[in-house]
Amino acid sequence: MLPSGLLVVYKRKGEIQPRYAKLSPENLEVAGCLIEAYKRHVGEKKKVLKAFAADLENQGYEYRFVRALDLLLDRRGTFICNSKINPPDLRKKIFQATEKHGLPTTPETRQQILQLVACETALTTQDIEEQLYADLDTELILTKFDAPTPLELLQQYNLSLAQTLLFDCTELCFKASGNWQMLFYSVKKLGLIYEVQRDSELWVEIDGPASLFKLTKRYGINIAKLLPTIIANQEWTVNAKILWKYTNEICSFKLDNAKHSQLLRKPNLQPETYDSAAEEAFASQFRAVKSGWTLKREPEPVQAGTQVIVPDFSLERGGLKVYLEIVGFWTEEYLLRKAEKLKQVDANMILVVNEDLACEKLVALEKRPQLHFIYYKDKISLPPILRYLQAAFEETKTKEIKLLKNLPVKFTELMVRYDEFAERIGVSSEAVQTVFSADPPEGYVAMPNSLVSKEKLQQIQGILNQALKQAEKRKLTLHQATQLIEAEGLTDASTTLNYLGYKIAWHGINSQEADVSPPKQ
Amino acid sequence: MFRLWFDRGTLLLRGEVGSPYGRWDSRSGCYRVKACHYRDVLEYFGESRVKIEDAVLDLPAFEQLKCNVELRAYQSEALDKWLTAGKRGVLVLPTAAGKTFIALKAIDLLKTQTLIVVPTLDLLDQWKKRVRDYLGVDAGVVGGGENVVRMVTVATYDSAYSLAAQLGNRFLFLIFDEVHHLASPGYMQIAEMFVAPYRMGLTATYERSDQRHALLPLLVGDPVYSVSVEELTTAKHLSNYTFEKIAVDLTEAEQQSYDAQMKVFRRYLVERHVVLKSAFDFQRFIMTTGRDPRAREALLARNRALKVAVNSEAKLNLLAEKLETYKDEKVLIFTLYNDLVYMVSKRFLIPAVTHQTPREERREIMANFGNGKYKVIVTSQVLDEGVDVPDASVGVVLGGTGSRREYIQRLGRLLRKKEGKTAKLVEIISKETVEVGISRRRHQKTGEAQ
Repeated sequence: MLPSGLLVVYKRKGEIQPRYAKLSPENLEVAGCLIEAYKRHVGEKKKVLKAFAADLENQGYEYRFVRALDLLLDRRGTFICNSKINPPDLRKKIFQATEKHGLPTTPETRQQILQLVACETALTTQDIEEQLYADLDTELILTKFDAPTPLELLQQYNLSLAQTLLFDCTELCFKASGNWQMLFYSVKKLGLIYEVQRDSELWVEIDGPASLFKLTKRYGINIAKLLPTIIANQEWTVNAKILWKYTNEICSFKLDNAKHSQLLRKPNLQPETYDSAAEEAFASQFRAVKSGWTLKREPEPVQAGTQVIVPDFSLERGGLKVYLEIVGFWTEEYLLRKAEKLKQVDANMILVVNEDLACEKLVALEKRPQLHFIYYKDKISLPPILRYLQAAFEETKTKEIKLLKNLPVKFTELMVRYDEFAERIGVSSEAVQTVFSADPPEGYVAMPNSLVSKEKLQQIQGILNQALKQAEKRKLTLHQATQLIEAEGLTDASTTLNYLGYKIAWHGINSQEADVSPPKQ
Repeated sequence: MFRLWFDRGTLLLRGEVGSPYGRWDSRSGCYRVKACHYRDVLEYFGESRVKIEDAVLDLPAFEQLKCNVELRAYQSEALDKWLTAGKRGVLVLPTAAGKTFIALKAIDLLKTQTLIVVPTLDLLDQWKKRVRDYLGVDAGVVGGGENVVRMVTVATYDSAYSLAAQLGNRFLFLIFDEVHHLASPGYMQIAEMFVAPYRMGLTATYERSDQRHALLPLLVGDPVYSVSVEELTTAKHLSNYTFEKIAVDLTEAEQQSYDAQMKVFRRYLVERHVVLKSAFDFQRFIMTTGRDPRAREALLARNRALKVAVNSEAKLNLLAEKLETYKDEKVLIFTLYNDLVYMVSKRFLIPAVTHQTPREERREIMANFGNGKYKVIVTSQVLDEGVDVPDASVGVVLGGTGSRREYIQRLGRLLRKKEGKTAKLVEIISKETVEVGISRRRHQKTGEAQ
């Protein structure tokens, strides 16, 4: 973030953009030049560096650009005052001497006072002249410098420009591909308020409590602080409203990953940091049991009215999604707010609650069918969770089977993959397989992964027989046969061969060495 | 049952109906009200005989005050006007007329949790000391790295603004020192985000050049009392002063450098047909410098010329003479640039106060100047507003920006009442430079006789 005097913008027809520094050879050169100056001047005074930046300005580079780069580098340096005596102490001695001997209006009387203090402090008068104000900012010495690359510096500059423009932001709207827990946590920590809206994607609108009454830039600085967390994602879009102070008009400021991710410095955020040891233990335990469920940490937010809950985990299996939230040690106020939100949730959710929390408000929620409570004492135990998941899965499957059985389906395709069909209908592919295996539609054969029409099977038989005729000793290896079948789009090669009556003779475990021979007539 | 509580600078109201000031907030599923309407909301529900659970206030512990303030006649009159106006309003009094005492007396009368908002850290220290000395309690401090809330608390505008969300429900009485600051777009939110029903504004300069003082009645109340320097000086509450302006020639080298730089500036103005007559013209010119490198070069040349004139060696020589003349008096030297402050400090080996001076050191310097140990100090603009510099009898101005407020307050600092004292203000400017114009503008605006 930069002082607003260093912000440079383009404004046209109600749209506003910072004038980003292109990652061009010329700009990289200026950046490199300043970085080198800082590296070379470790051990020297800050004012030398400022003079260097001023020189660059005078050579015709845009002064705000140069000053901003200089400022960003300044922040990466460590400056200290290394004088032999604490300058304020030295000054006190000097001023006291002046007070005692009278204000010096001639060079001679001045020298006398310096001499007196020099004796007292065992310094030379030269030292005193130099160190009297050695603690002023421009007099400090650069002792350490954490050098970025020129590219990093330009990207940092561009990010800072965008953030500085957001100081004048009245509200910001974004969508992002992840990082949700940290995003909503930051929103709260920064004293902001969000509201979500869903079209096909989840949009989050950010402003603050007092934004309800009037357009205010009060929250701009905190909104700017949120930007790095948003752009740390793979995909993101930001639309902000800027109240441009010079013209008092509302401008729109847009940013997205496709256009801007190269230009902006992406912050290094720690992924997968667990809030609590309980969460971490649960995740590793769960992954170890290989339950068939896919565990995802920090899934997309679950909408609860205009607010969201970002559950700790989502668990997915064949189209069925269950959210899991671990409610560990929290304040009552937190639980009340959570309960308030949970009332509005329209998704399956397991709440793993610490028994000691005995919160009445939470207990009152137990009646809600979409919420399932599992209590624990010291350590979260897996079996009850797995039992619930298994039951939920079976229940869903039973429902789906019933639905599928009553579904009037008529296929015209030569082949129907279960997973594709399941997705189209919105059920699990396990249910589809169960139903079709038990009762394949007229004219179709049920394979492990798909339905194949008898017509298609005949075609394949033709192809195989053709190949066998041309083959040496009228034999194909299993590998060759599989390739021919898969070339036709079928995945279940060995089931197909079995169905068509071909014999497979294994000579080892390698399919190259297994022979396929035609059925005996 | 309705419940009203404080949420980060606003009030939330949960219940089946809203209040006249409330607005439905879909984000939180209840009505939201501006914090400053707290009293109105309570009155509304009182009149409608609706019971509400009021969970708004979070006041610091009450402390017993021991007030020993005696008010002068005009101070009492000001306080009465404020009380009859419903404990709201702005008092306009010149610097050194004892605004602080009126406010302290008001705190004692109301005996309630009070926040005093001030523009600078110097004033923060000063108020803290006054509260200790005249109310007999330690003041809480918010700002300058401290954050302690007590019965009577002093905060800077900056801290009150940025912490309004946390502090807004902790006081019932707000005092704004130098209240003209409150009308700025940012700071006005302090007034909006605090629930305190009782409000007092203090200033010597009510009007703002941007006319935003028109907002103050809404934020703190109407101006209820006003008295001018002239009225008070004739009544002998403040000391009189004399004014002297001395123009010195630049040294030859300085003059050459000055002329060369001004030529660059003037050439630009002529070539581009730019006329700079008013402050507004100048602002527009500054905006052009962002786009036009030539305009920027011209501006830099002008600034360099001005710096030569302001920092002139000849002025320092004259300053040496003046310091010799006034060697038994307490002298305060003002300059525009920090460079010059340090130049003067180094040359005469006297204490300097700028925004860079460590707070502890500044406190010590001011205390020593107050008790007469240090006779001369030099400062840039940080002392400009309302800071007590006790008994300074001579002021020397080395450069300035030509603004009206600055001038009044610099004068004000010298106007400390002391028996038989006449304050002197000396302005040293360079001859034949734009500084003459700046100085003239300064006087025109105040309408001061020279």
